[in-house]
Amino acid sequence: MALSHHPLTRREILENCLALGSVAIVSSTPAAALIAAFEEHELQHRRPTPPNDLGPFYKKRAPETAVLRAAGDPGMPLAVSGQVFNTRADTLTNAVVEVWQTDHLGHYDLDGYRYRAKLPVDNNGSYKFDSVIPGHYPDRVCQHVHYLVAAPGHKPLVTQLYFATDPVFEGDPDRNFGRDPLIHSRELVRPVILTGDPQAIEAAVRFELVLELL
Amino acid sequence: MRLPTPLLAVLLTQSLFAAGGAKLERTITVSSDAIVEFTAISPKGDFIAGACQDGQVRLWAFPSGELRQVFTLQDQRISSAVFSADGTLLAVGGNRGAVKIWSLPSGQLKHDLKVGASVIALTLSPDKTLLALAKQDQPAQLWDLDVGRIITELPAKFSGSSSLAFSPDGQWLASADGDTEIRIYESHTGALRATASDLLLETFAVIFSSDSKLLYAGGADRTISAIDVTSGKVMSAFPKQSYVVGELHRSSDGKSLLALYFDERSFKNPVPALVWDTATHSVRSTFDESGITPNGGGFLKDGRALITNSAGPRLQVWSLR
Repeated sequence: MALSHHPLTRREILENCLALGSVAIVSSTPAAALIAAFEEHELQHRRPTPPNDLGPFYKKRAPETAVLRAAGDPGMPLAVSGQVFNTRADTLTNAVVEVWQTDHLGHYDLDGYRYRAKLPVDNNGSYKFDSVIPGHYPDRVCQHVHYLVAAPGHKPLVTQLYFATDPVFEGDPDRNFGRDPLIHSRELVRPVILTGDPQAIEAAVRFELVLELL
Repeated sequence: MRLPTPLLAVLLTQSLFAAGGAKLERTITVSSDAIVEFTAISPKGDFIAGACQDGQVRLWAFPSGELRQVFTLQDQRISSAVFSADGTLLAVGGNRGAVKIWSLPSGQLKHDLKVGASVIALTLSPDKTLLALAKQDQPAQLWDLDVGRIITELPAKFSGSSSLAFSPDGQWLASADGDTEIRIYESHTGALRATASDLLLETFAVIFSSDSKLLYAGGADRTISAIDVTSGKVMSAFPKQSYVVGELHRSSDGKSLLALYFDERSFKNPVPALVWDTATHSVRSTFDESGITPNGGGFLKDGRALITNSAGPRLQVWSLR
């Protein structure tokens, strides 16, 4: 359960654990100091999502919609979901995720808002959207979805999502993610789960997002 | 470094042909392994700096085509280059944060800075005491060159800046930012004075009018907007084109703008360049040579626009009335 929904603070939980014997302290250091150190250590356990280039085609005032794929759009259907946290592992229930990508042919819509959306997260800090696997933009190596994630009190995150199924990786993203010079972190290349039958195959991706506090 | 004349690998041709209103003024053979990625043209049109794939910036005199200097940033790829307004300084930025500024025509190194990230745009104030630079996905910086220190950073809401320009009167600095806003600062303090928030897509080129009252901005919306400097409001827009605006250059009399465009579906696709009348917002002339992708431009003192393109190991220089 996310801390933001728990009735007790981390410190209170730790103090209860100590009182009930579920945590034992074997140290000459005072319990309060150890609890503080434990708390500090635990709070740091989510690493921030690696940033990635904004790219040239961000467009502000995108519509709030989770359905980027219109009926009949060509391309492999794609469902993306995830949760937004901060580095203390708190779920951020007031975050807004903006996404933009090309269509399945690798073209950005500069005149309108096709394949662009603004996604306020829900009460669990979760977001999701339906789209298509983006095409290969001619001057980029890999298929990608752009992200801009903002939440009060946190540093805005600009990053990109890549697909482990991208043919560029030849099935081995661990080894080949560097073929796109803009991918600086393997972490941004996400596993793809294929569902459905051969006539109606769909791709699903999870992409958790971790923001840094200001 | 000044090269001895016998080593100049320059092939000159004069006025080979004219087509589509453009005239091929010079063809310069660079080197078999040194394709020119982009150029900067001095404000008087008397020098062309070519950022080459071999990591060198070659400086040619124009119209002679004589190679005058070769500059490098050691092992960094050249990512930006700009002349000062009087053409006596050349500032060059690299993809790993090096910035060097040389005096011209001597070639003496005047400033050697390290800014820690790829430098994607540079501009020098008219009095040459200030340098503004844009870094990849990081806030732009305003430098005092006299003391070699940062005056301030110029942050956007997120990401960095794409283009920077000082006003001709030296009062203003404009920054076209990744969050699609254009911010106008006081040059000497970096204090924010106006924000243009009406543009939905990112701007890739900004340049002030000759009276410093308007800012011309072009980018992904495929048009050029004229923005009031004091209010940040878009006052008018030039007719929308089929391609994204990548560069803007202003003639010395302020009556013309040269716009270089790119095709967002592939940056390498040939696209026309246009010379616009700033008063009427109409096209004065079009550069539309078959198969040619411009990689730089500017103006001559007589008002002709200059456009460069790479043709293998050669640099072609065209003029356009």
